[in-house]
Amino acid sequence: MRKRVGVFVCECGTNIAATVNTEKVAEYASTLPGVAYATTYKYMCSDPGQELIRASIAEHELEQVVVASCSPRMHENTFRRAVEAGGINPYMFEMVNIREQNSWVHHDKQLATSKAMDLVRMAVSKVLKNQPLQKSTIPITKKAMVIGGGIAGMQAALDIAEAGYQVILLEREASIGGKMAQLDKTFPTMDCAA
Amino acid sequence: MSIESSKGWEPKIIVFACNWCSYAAADLAGLNHLDYPADVRIIRTPCSGRMDPLFVMRAFNRGADGVLLSG
Amino acid sequence: MVAAAQHPNIELMTYAEVKKVSGYIGNFTVSVRKKAKYVDWDLCTGCGTCIEKCPTKKIKDEFNLGIGLRTAIHKLFPQAVPGKPYIDAESCRKLTQDKCGVCEKVCPTKAINFNDKDEMVDIEVGAIVMATGYDLFKWEEVYGEYGYGKYPDVISGLHFERLVSAGGPTGGKIVRPSDGKEPKSVAFIKCVGSRDDTKGKSYCSRACCMYTAKHAYQVKDKIADSEAYVFYMDVRTAGKNYEEFYQRALNAGAKYIRGRVSKIYPRGDKLVLKSEDTLLGMPIEVEADLVVLATAMVPSAGAVDLAKAIGFSVDKDGFYQEAHPKLQPMETFAAGVYLAGACQGPKDIPDTVAQASGAAVKVCGLFSKPELATDPMTSVVDATKCSGCGLCVPICPYGAISLKERKERGGHGQGPFIRQVAEVNSSLCQGCGACVPACRTMALNLKGFTDEQLVAEVDALCL
Repeated sequence: MRKRVGVFVCECGTNIAATVNTEKVAEYASTLPGVAYATTYKYMCSDPGQELIRASIAEHELEQVVVASCSPRMHENTFRRAVEAGGINPYMFEMVNIREQNSWVHHDKQLATSKAMDLVRMAVSKVLKNQPLQKSTIPITKKAMVIGGGIAGMQAALDIAEAGYQVILLEREASIGGKMAQLDKTFPTMDCAA
Repeated sequence: MSIESSKGWEPKIIVFACNWCSYAAADLAGLNHLDYPADVRIIRTPCSGRMDPLFVMRAFNRGADGVLLSG
Repeated sequence: MVAAAQHPNIELMTYAEVKKVSGYIGNFTVSVRKKAKYVDWDLCTGCGTCIEKCPTKKIKDEFNLGIGLRTAIHKLFPQAVPGKPYIDAESCRKLTQDKCGVCEKVCPTKAINFNDKDEMVDIEVGAIVMATGYDLFKWEEVYGEYGYGKYPDVISGLHFERLVSAGGPTGGKIVRPSDGKEPKSVAFIKCVGSRDDTKGKSYCSRACCMYTAKHAYQVKDKIADSEAYVFYMDVRTAGKNYEEFYQRALNAGAKYIRGRVSKIYPRGDKLVLKSEDTLLGMPIEVEADLVVLATAMVPSAGAVDLAKAIGFSVDKDGFYQEAHPKLQPMETFAAGVYLAGACQGPKDIPDTVAQASGAAVKVCGLFSKPELATDPMTSVVDATKCSGCGLCVPICPYGAISLKERKERGGHGQGPFIRQVAEVNSSLCQGCGACVPACRTMALNLKGFTDEQLVAEVDALCL
């Protein structure tokens, strides 16, 4: 695998840029070993931001991508798809959290910028060790089992069955109905439970 | 390896955080804009079960001032 | 009930218990024990002749909580679905003493089979919905002040439901269990076992405020010149039209008294309830003919063992743990296993139905895909490095690792040999990586979070 990392630093409007000097982070990133291209953008997750990633992959023949922006718990899948659309394996990608775990919790611009640089360096080092991964698929038995034949089980079974799937409604007593069958009228409408 | 700052020496602390709890908690701290010192560097792990003593030794060996495992 | 029984896509499997679940999302194998019914339901027409003729008639009817009697061959209740009888092996004289056999003689379709045996079946399913419901807190074991269950006229709310039900043993007439007389004064005590850290559970059971309001209303409605007293801590009516319903009970004349009953004791044929009215700030005493306890909901018997068998967690009270309290209330930590109803926590019927429909949507969403894509960040074994020690097998919380035989070519003049190596089932593996540090020969690695990747991160940060 060739080492051609692209680093994309997101400003997130001013969410990141107000505390982290993103220009300086991108500039620093471009000096790291293996990095072929580094840039900043106002909103990486927006359509033009994702387009920038796709175009840059082609233009700079990138093999690995690092995005420094918000938490991966937020947009990891977004960027994986963008990277894949750019023609490289979606797992040749790492994300750096410089918003939730940096710009939003620190005030000192110098410290926050230095932290962002460290985190970008960390991600670049990791992404260089990444291997392409393939999602595998497993077959699905399209039949459900509902354990318990009370009101919850009956409702779930009926809804699944209505959608066209086979359901086994299992009950340990000899009749379905559960506790509800023991009830008289039910609140608040006082209609019959059976 | 310490962090350079106008305030003088700052320690560098490596944090290993489980993606599902501590890492999410650190995100939550961010969402709430809870200020804390910038000395920590969080490494995301898929679970604290993934932690290998090797990583801790490696961090100290390379000069980390502190290591925090959270999960 | 009938709708569920008649739906062409639903197969009812009653009088059956789950023994074991193996497999993973999309591909579960459920081992089910179908208990012996001693009646061939394919032949049985549900005519009920056997029930009429059964001479063993004096068994306490569990469905009615001991009010009324049933026969050894019986339906769970008259409107049971499926509407077919089964034999209670413990009370049948034929099965216990080899006498009688009347039902066999009278059955017009020869459906009775005294040689019936429990049957084990394995069923392949793609998703499981847990709907195991709740049981009532056993107040008799801890509430000495309410008589440890020794006063027959101190009953639970469910007991009261059977009394007041038109289909119940009394035909809907509210009577005292002790003497069959109609009670003129009924006292209700809420939060028995709920919101009681010392004797019961810390949580609120959520449905009791409302059903107690209903019971109080029914007492006022059905019994002329009656009194209904409700002892309460709080009245919680958070639900659509609930507050209005509570007001209806108040308007009907139910008397709400804020206070915990500290003692119940008999006086003549009545029961005396000693309490404090905390709004008046004074002790009070109420005489009642019948006392109804709103007991806490607890997980149904066997629910915790079932969770263990399937492989997901329960909370401190034994209710099934949802994957996220707000965002994933129908999911468990086991992919493909969903939750509906009171097994996840105390709930009333509207909430139960809503959650059940939600769980059904989760199942349908899963089934709507042709195949299931799996996260590739799973553990892998380098078989050439694996020593087959098996240390990783018990470490894996998902049971994804097993030892498999591997045939290898022998070197230096030796023939081929077989040895054990670890194998990861990538469908079961959730990618936690707990196995990786456990491996002494470094044969295991986690894709996406390899040792090399994590060490590279540590090194980069420690520059």
